[in-house]
Amino acid sequence: MATTTAAITLTSSDLLTNALALSASMTLYQHGTTATGLDEVNYHRANIPTGTNFDLIQDSAALSEDASYVYICVKNTDVTDYVIISINAEVIGRLYAGDWAFFPWDNDLTDTQSVSDQTGNDSSIEITAVTHEAVIEYALFHNGETLVTAADS
Amino acid sequence: MATTTAAITLTSTDIMDSPLSISNTSTLYTAGTNTGLVETTGLARKKFASSGNIILLDAGLAGGVAQDVTEDGANKVFIRNINARGDGSKFVNILLAAVEIGRLYGGDWMLIPWSAADGKDIEFTASDTTETILEYMVFYE
Repeated sequence: MATTTAAITLTSSDLLTNALALSASMTLYQHGTTATGLDEVNYHRANIPTGTNFDLIQDSAALSEDASYVYICVKNTDVTDYVIISINAEVIGRLYAGDWAFFPWDNDLTDTQSVSDQTGNDSSIEITAVTHEAVIEYALFHNGETLVTAADS
Repeated sequence: MATTTAAITLTSTDIMDSPLSISNTSTLYTAGTNTGLVETTGLARKKFASSGNIILLDAGLAGGVAQDVTEDGANKVFIRNINARGDGSKFVNILLAAVEIGRLYGGDWMLIPWSAADGKDIEFTASDTTETILEYMVFYE
């Protein structure tokens, strides 16, 4: 097992009358365990062309009903640039230049028969770049994916 | 305008052969600008003991704070399950409308953008009826 921690700090001296200083830290554990950490990770950097909704993180049967966590950061610097993050047909929201998100992910929907199947009612995390090509960094911390058998095996 | 920053660090010394250290700090701006978000729900806490589906943030609600959240703005939502981890089998499913995003186990947190489109509520469903406490905060325009 591995020990991976995710920590957040939210701060502001002028959003509220009193200073905001919120912090939280968590260890990324496997489902149903008290001290066994997630031990697999995919960490990527990608350029996302504009205008098309892409599968960023592909669903997989092995990712279903388990503890997985996703980090996405938009590295663009033009403040008008953004990406739209969605799952299935539901738009979660927009990440603008410099923004990041971190959230749990459970491949909950039904179409998990094949990771190479791009159709159907799946839980893949999707992304659309708007305004300009988006440069993003993203990571998936997980407990194992379904691997695709090579077509020429 | 206000200046609010969100910083994340992801660290591990043993998930890969070399240490993993990811960090980022973003300032929470309104959509497409360098102007800081100035509205927030403040930090809120909700206690419940139900395994039913519950609306945490009701987008498009006619009245109240949710009505003020600009659809497709640069809104951000922080949610934390402040329960203890226990045996690691209890969690809260976080959903956007009918689509599950993922599971927050005891001690877990998340920060996501939120479209806040009409009907795109942020909801949750606990894995059982154990009393659970969520803390949450919305930064919005």
